[in-house]
Amino acid sequence: MRREQTLADRITGSAVWRSVVRHGYPDTQRNQALIIASNVFLHIHPVKIKRYATKVTYTFCLGGLSFFMFLVLTMTGVLLMFYYVPSADLAYQSMKDIESSVTFGQLMRNMHRWSAQGMVIAVFLHMCRVFYTGSYKPPREFNWVIGVLLLVVTFLLSFTGYLLPWDQLALWAVTVGTNIGGAAPFVGEQVNMVLRGDFEIGQSALIRFYTLHVIFLPLAAAFLMAVHFWRIRKDGGISGPL
Amino acid sequence: MAEIAQQTPGGQGFTPIDEAKRQRLLELVRGRAMARPTDLAEDEVMVWPSLVVVEAVSAAVFLLILTVLSVMVNAPLTARANPNQTPNPSKAPWYFLNLQELLLHMNAGVAGVIIPTVALVGIAAIPYIDRSPLGVGILGTSAKGRRIIGFTFVYTTVVIVGMILLNEQSGRTVFGLAGFLQENLNTPELINYQILPVLIIVFWIGVLMALVQRLYRPTRREMVIALFTGFVAAFVVLTISGTSFRGEGQDLTWPWNLPLEHH
Repeated sequence: MRREQTLADRITGSAVWRSVVRHGYPDTQRNQALIIASNVFLHIHPVKIKRYATKVTYTFCLGGLSFFMFLVLTMTGVLLMFYYVPSADLAYQSMKDIESSVTFGQLMRNMHRWSAQGMVIAVFLHMCRVFYTGSYKPPREFNWVIGVLLLVVTFLLSFTGYLLPWDQLALWAVTVGTNIGGAAPFVGEQVNMVLRGDFEIGQSALIRFYTLHVIFLPLAAAFLMAVHFWRIRKDGGISGPL
Repeated sequence: MAEIAQQTPGGQGFTPIDEAKRQRLLELVRGRAMARPTDLAEDEVMVWPSLVVVEAVSAAVFLLILTVLSVMVNAPLTARANPNQTPNPSKAPWYFLNLQELLLHMNAGVAGVIIPTVALVGIAAIPYIDRSPLGVGILGTSAKGRRIIGFTFVYTTVVIVGMILLNEQSGRTVFGLAGFLQENLNTPELINYQILPVLIIVFWIGVLMALVQRLYRPTRREMVIALFTGFVAAFVVLTISGTSFRGEGQDLTWPWNLPLEHH
């Protein structure tokens, strides 16, 4: 007896649907393989992995959470950029506007702030997990080095974002922070000048931190993450007992 | 096993088994043979759905937690930036407060730049120092490795808390040694606040390595575990000290006496 065509069948059988999704429902191994291989976002994964690599108590999802928070930060960050003005005169007022008159502005800002703190913690804990499971050992040496660079970029992303609210907390935290950098032997003054663009934190520092925060460092992080994720696969997937 | 032992070769009805010479299975010993069954490496699952489900669920759970947190707790926004009004204490973001804590005890260049640079380069160099495949995939490598983690954490915490308290007592003069050297030998700042603190840090790292060597007879991997754990413990202890125990003038105080402006 032939089954009656449901609405779902009509949709998934239509020319439009089939032009987008080139495989059937993933309930066979063939379609499960195709869905991973033919989707640009999913093809970061191989089609099959070792069973132990799916164990939550091995990775605690920390690397994935770091990436997830990077995505949340990118999305909320773009929304905040619609309203934030990187000018020493207007920045603080635009923060006030985001908090009081932008729909969901306060929520977006809170999510951005808390996931930024969360990302620093997750990246650090991820490093600890990778270390304590010995996952840096050959052939994964270089990916560990990339990971250390990503830790540094994460610190810098958080630090450059710290100045943007242009409140007392921001100004003085960054003053202390850049003073630490300025204490570098031999090149301290130059480092400080490059960071601040002036003798004290002002408009030039704000625009530098803003540009680093919204363009340069996220691109650097994305670039390093691409290498990091690619190398996981090339080095044989995530580590496991030999 | 017993059946195998009882089997007679060729089935030609040879002499019955001599009970005294009979081999028995006493126990099974976990071997370290070169050719081990490759179950773990062969045991594969489809990424869709096995891994994708884990990712989707953890992303959803975490997004929920983050959203609830963001609805309930507002990000701090203090008064407008004012270069003429320095808050006391002024603090860096929390993840740099470990460096700010170090800064109280020695030269700023050493505490703020040289030590973190050496630490980061050292961490990046770990895979080129410890290359043996020993213990991959096992948290802490071995029971001994896990004991070393615990020991190092306690050791580092005690040493750092002790040093902070002692140096605070001496008015942050490298336990009074800096003043003593300067008065008696007229030593320059380079020795008092740069070389001397570094030597003290190197000394405590040396003591840690000697203790771990004596107590545990570690492999190279386990020694690296001790050093890395020392770094993590130092990072944590110094960060807690910097965030929660430094009040006005960066003097030691209790967390509940701190001004509320810092996040």
